[in-house]
Amino acid sequence: MRHSFFLILTAFSALIVLFILLPIAVTISTQFYNPGFAQAMRDRAVWNSILLTYYAALLSTLTAIIFGTPLAYILSRYSFPGRSIVEGIADIPVVIPHTAAGISLLAVFGSNGLIGSFSPVKFVDALPGIVVAMLFVSVPIYLNAAREGFGSVDVRFEQVARTLGASQWRVFFTISLPLAARHIAAGALMAWARAISEFGAIVVIAYYPMVAPTLIYERYISTGLSAAGPVTAILILLSLVVFVAIRILLWGKNVSRSER
Amino acid sequence: MFLEVNAEKNLENFRLEVNFSMGRGYCVILGPTGAGKSLLLEIIAGIVKPDKGRVSMDGKDITDLPPEKRGIGFVPQDCALFPHMNVRKNIAYGLRHEKGHEKDKKVKEIAEKLGILHLLDRKPATLSGGEMQRVALARALVIKPKLILLDEPLSAVDLGTKKKLINELKYVRSEFGIPIAHVTHDILEAAMLAEEMAVVMNGRIVKSGRAEDVLCYEFCDGSLFKKFSEIMEQWK
Repeated sequence: MRHSFFLILTAFSALIVLFILLPIAVTISTQFYNPGFAQAMRDRAVWNSILLTYYAALLSTLTAIIFGTPLAYILSRYSFPGRSIVEGIADIPVVIPHTAAGISLLAVFGSNGLIGSFSPVKFVDALPGIVVAMLFVSVPIYLNAAREGFGSVDVRFEQVARTLGASQWRVFFTISLPLAARHIAAGALMAWARAISEFGAIVVIAYYPMVAPTLIYERYISTGLSAAGPVTAILILLSLVVFVAIRILLWGKNVSRSER
Repeated sequence: MFLEVNAEKNLENFRLEVNFSMGRGYCVILGPTGAGKSLLLEIIAGIVKPDKGRVSMDGKDITDLPPEKRGIGFVPQDCALFPHMNVRKNIAYGLRHEKGHEKDKKVKEIAEKLGILHLLDRKPATLSGGEMQRVALARALVIKPKLILLDEPLSAVDLGTKKKLINELKYVRSEFGIPIAHVTHDILEAAMLAEEMAVVMNGRIVKSGRAEDVLCYEFCDGSLFKKFSEIMEQWK
């Protein structure tokens, strides 16, 4: 009885893991014999789009950290009227279809939009447009992780720090933030990864300059799978390398902490 | 009186209404769990703001002062040592205006007095309950506070350590001369340390004054004696 329980559990788990791994493995492995892969590796347009994607995702994540951290702290520490409404608003981007998010962003940041009409910064078909689209879809991930991080910090530490003469600012930067740092770093990493993978919202507000997901789509539509495959493989490989590297970094920190 | 608290605080299922005062001695605030002792300490420390009333120390109204401006050292029950800092940094946390050398000197001085010099480079997670209490005490004392608040400082240590720490608290009292408000549910702990005492029950001070007078009152009252006899068992 116990045996069958674990057997079924393992079988189902293995299926899900395979389901995630298989498309990635097939995409990458088929490229090793594809002459188009080497060609794509030398293609400037591919590298430009990848660099642009990573750069825009970095800007979007930094913006999420700067503006999202205070909100995450407020939500984890204070109760105020309308708090659950604010929490709900922060989660809205998760449930909106991303093309719809792109249209909504266009209504605000488009050339005739609420902000875009007078803003000296151009959003449509420009880097700022990519960044706002990435930010819109990834900020809930960061907010939730950071809020959880601050929530895991015992309020007693902050209270004691204040009785030791520390101002609220000093307590925030020397106690709350360092103790929530792992959650914040993990949240930033996930938000960054989410930003890199965004296509739907970006394609509406900024088809050009092309981020990597748009380039893959464009190659697939214009030339087919043979042209899209190599670019896809490069993007997946790069994303995996960066993702695994940062995971190891964060994990290493965790291990050394628990060893002390 | 050195410290006077006339405060009212309403929580969801609890109401604290106290009229508490203490001199410059060692005052033990005694009462069963859930009586409101810790809440009273938090009001004194400025961590919790009373709904009504006034807190004054040394004749000055400190009701609206934030915790960092009160000059009151607070040692909570679980010590709340900052887990990401070693003992040295924990103790030095309140000395932000001191320069490197001066800061180090003060940390070593207080650590030596409390017998924790050998722990300075250790992380809180590696300390025993008694060691944690000493470090938390050192961290609160090093800023030279006007008053020290101890919330059940001996509740999480074994009997042997408890006896040692009681002697150390007596030493701290005589060496530093800082008034101490010590919250406990342990009448023997209170009897061994208190110069003044206040008994808290259901959010009210039911008796306060010189320790000898209050203790006599406690032991004469049969119902209270029963509650505390359990605790006394552990000292046999």
